[in-house]
Amino acid sequence: MTATESPPTHPVSPLLALKPRRVETGLLVMVGAAVAVAYALASFGTTEAIPANLGPFLLWMFGLGAVAHLANRHFASGADPVFLPISLLLNGLGYVVITRLDGSLAALQSTWTAIGIGGYVATLLFVPRVRIIEQYRYLLGIGGLLLLMIPLVPGLGTEINGARIWASVGPINFQPGEFAKLTLAAFFAGYLVDSRELLRSRLELRDLAPIGVAWAGSLGVMVFQRDLGSSLLFFTLFVVVLWVASERWVVLAVGAVLFFGGAFAAWTMFDHVQKRVDIWLDPFADPKGDGFQIVEGSFALADGGLTGTGLGQGEPGRIPFAETDFIFAAIGEELGLAGSSAVLMAFLLLIGSGLRVSLRADRVFEKLFALGLTTLLAVQTFVIVGGVLRVVPLTGITLPFVSYGGSSLVANYVLLALLVRMSHEQRVLIRPAKGTA
Amino acid sequence: MNLRIRRLGVVLSVLYLVLFLQLNRIQFFGAERLQDDVNNTRGLIREFGRERGPIITADGVLVARSVEYDGSVDFRREYPEGELYAHITGYQSLNVEAVGLERSYNDELAGDPIDQRFASLGDLFVDRNSTATLTLSIRDDVQRVAAEALGDRKGSVVALDPRTGEIIALWTFPSFDPNPLADPDGTAANAAFDALVADPNTPLLAKSYREIYFPGSTFKLVTAAAGVEAGLIGASTPVFPVATTYEPVPAGAPIRNFAGSACGGDLVELLRVSCNTAFSEIGAEWVGPERMVDVAEAFGFNADLGIDLPGAAESRFPTDYGEQLADVDRYRAAGQQPVEGAETVLPNGAVPVHENSARLAQASIGQNDVAATPLQMALVAAAIANDGVVMTPHVVTELLAFDGSLLDRVEPEPLRVAMSASTAAILRDAMRVVAEEGTARNLLTDGVVVGGKTGTAQLGTTPPNSHAWIVGYAGMPNEQPSLAFAVIVEAQEGASEQTGGRVAAPIAQAVIEAAFP
Repeated sequence: MTATESPPTHPVSPLLALKPRRVETGLLVMVGAAVAVAYALASFGTTEAIPANLGPFLLWMFGLGAVAHLANRHFASGADPVFLPISLLLNGLGYVVITRLDGSLAALQSTWTAIGIGGYVATLLFVPRVRIIEQYRYLLGIGGLLLLMIPLVPGLGTEINGARIWASVGPINFQPGEFAKLTLAAFFAGYLVDSRELLRSRLELRDLAPIGVAWAGSLGVMVFQRDLGSSLLFFTLFVVVLWVASERWVVLAVGAVLFFGGAFAAWTMFDHVQKRVDIWLDPFADPKGDGFQIVEGSFALADGGLTGTGLGQGEPGRIPFAETDFIFAAIGEELGLAGSSAVLMAFLLLIGSGLRVSLRADRVFEKLFALGLTTLLAVQTFVIVGGVLRVVPLTGITLPFVSYGGSSLVANYVLLALLVRMSHEQRVLIRPAKGTA
Repeated sequence: MNLRIRRLGVVLSVLYLVLFLQLNRIQFFGAERLQDDVNNTRGLIREFGRERGPIITADGVLVARSVEYDGSVDFRREYPEGELYAHITGYQSLNVEAVGLERSYNDELAGDPIDQRFASLGDLFVDRNSTATLTLSIRDDVQRVAAEALGDRKGSVVALDPRTGEIIALWTFPSFDPNPLADPDGTAANAAFDALVADPNTPLLAKSYREIYFPGSTFKLVTAAAGVEAGLIGASTPVFPVATTYEPVPAGAPIRNFAGSACGGDLVELLRVSCNTAFSEIGAEWVGPERMVDVAEAFGFNADLGIDLPGAAESRFPTDYGEQLADVDRYRAAGQQPVEGAETVLPNGAVPVHENSARLAQASIGQNDVAATPLQMALVAAAIANDGVVMTPHVVTELLAFDGSLLDRVEPEPLRVAMSASTAAILRDAMRVVAEEGTARNLLTDGVVVGGKTGTAQLGTTPPNSHAWIVGYAGMPNEQPSLAFAVIVEAQEGASEQTGGRVAAPIAQAVIEAAFP
């Protein structure tokens, strides 16, 4: 069968030359082993005993991995085999560190993981072709805006830790913005499919109006929800997708001007933005107060050194929000530079695979949608890791797949499923139809 | 579009490279600087929460140990005997610097020294408990008796083996309970510490080795040693005329005997009755500044005694007595006026008058600017008991590994030679007379040979108050003395004009009885 396969016309991961699902099986076994060992070590480090629930935990983990893997086999048999194992590795490592930090979060996070896998499978199941999404681009756009506004609705929205990005339905809190990211990415891609030719052929001032709209929307998120991270994320998403679609540098230039203009305006107008910048410039100016979190995060990373203190052997609990915003510092403390670099590499692999899907897409919508989703993943990771590492001002957003948080986890699994779906579509297109050999 | 996507890939790669470089900067290249940052309490807490080895007395009583703690740290320190050993073990606290053995033996207790961590090749691969157990020379039975005998009077008791310098009892009242200071809850520990610091009775201060007092008449042993060492004075010659007053030269307040009595005689008699006038004259006119300072320093004054506890105070003997003026005889003949052309040492063995010879006269009986720790005065007695050799005082004798094997033994080490063995023998005999027939009769204990010297360091007369001292030695008959001691009961309200013989000697006697059961 493989002998008749025509050579791919687009860059292909070497792994794709093999049977992707068999490769995935092998990778998943390795990920399972790594996470199981990490879980046992972390538990041993904190309680000096092999955890009693190691067996059930392993069953649960392997079960979830197996479900996702079977879904891939059935619904996306040709997809790039690195997406799922790497995401599960990040998710598993995050779970180990979260439970090690706060055992009471274990049940919740494993429930969210299960829901996330459920969302992954459901997405593969209900989105057999990504072009279906293109049909609903405007609906999704409006939906995204509505999702963003839910937290502002009195009685439904909740403010937690200064950001009004939460919606409460009964006992469940979730961040609608996490899902708005996905629908907006679909909308941007669909919208630009329509206007792309126009944008490429001529460029007048009014054609840049959409950037202005996106900019205004992003500022709105920042002003009304006090969510700097998401604001930055939305704006970057739009500018990047528009730039690739229009193939015009001026988009980047205008985007940069607007970005810095907006950032400066926000800096002059809002105390909390000024504070963030001040902390970024010199966290040690107020090490026990404003700079505490970032200073403790740096101390944790420094304690980790090259090889880390060992799972369960460090004191990452000293960092405020170690299980969400600062989980990267917690990993760096206990797994050292080796572990934190591995996490960065894992994200780079995901991003690379995502960009490859975008590159290989034949249709513009898939190309821009995959690009948008990958950009979301890449920029969100950069913003939070860069914030922890004092490369950029800190904004409180989650580290995809790793941080504690249900909305983020589920949304990212849906994002992953969409990339996997597109990857599968390309693979199927390359392969000759069944029965022709 | 693919070109743009590839460019985006490059841009993202660069951004992540920046993250990676910064990660290296924080976790590797700049890690040490961050760990040393003043705001970084991680190391402090880690150090505090580690398991440390126990501290055990010579007779096996546990006085410090690490117990597992369920909270912010893995272990906390416990001091089962509370205040009885607080000034020896000290404490390990989260908030304030450690004191006592917790400080001086910090590395060994925590298991840090290389030889403790890697006793064998296998230790490279196994995380073995490398903490050391400290064995003390302190005997719990003697320590306990010392504390009981002193009771709630402010003061100190020091007892040691003069042959080795091993300290057998080291007690100061008031003391404190170190347990609250070792509380892993920093706020609670701080509150306990603040209360102790605010206490006017300074319970935190281990006065036995960290506070200096007028030694009073106990210092006459040093003056006597200097006189005998100089070859000027023997046990029975010369005989000093009976006097009630000594007039210092060139000028100064006359020195009188205790309660205005008259005394004189040979050295043994002078010590027996603690004769101020004769010892003032011996110091100022016979021994002279140079030799007095030499001998006092040979006993350990003006220097570190090398005890294995941190923060020990140096005892003090003044060294500046000004220009030499003239020989005493010609000075007196000229009606206390300076005479030109004095020689350094006179044919009769006496020394020339110095500008401040009056000060030396006072210093020779333990007044003026002389100040000594109780430990120093115990070492004066110990030197006499040990043929003139001062052994380095210490409380730790052995370091044991976790499995009980011997890591290190603290060998006895001479600190100084205070005098010749023959001088020491003369003083030993004289002190024995003092105990049997003199001011230190309260020392006498059946079956034990004892020698002593009392001291009553007067601080004022309205109301009369004074430190009560006793120093001495004890040993089995026909054997070298195995115990030297110093006891001070501080001047305090309600104890008007206490004397060493009446107040301090019974405490020392209780210690002797405990040490020689």
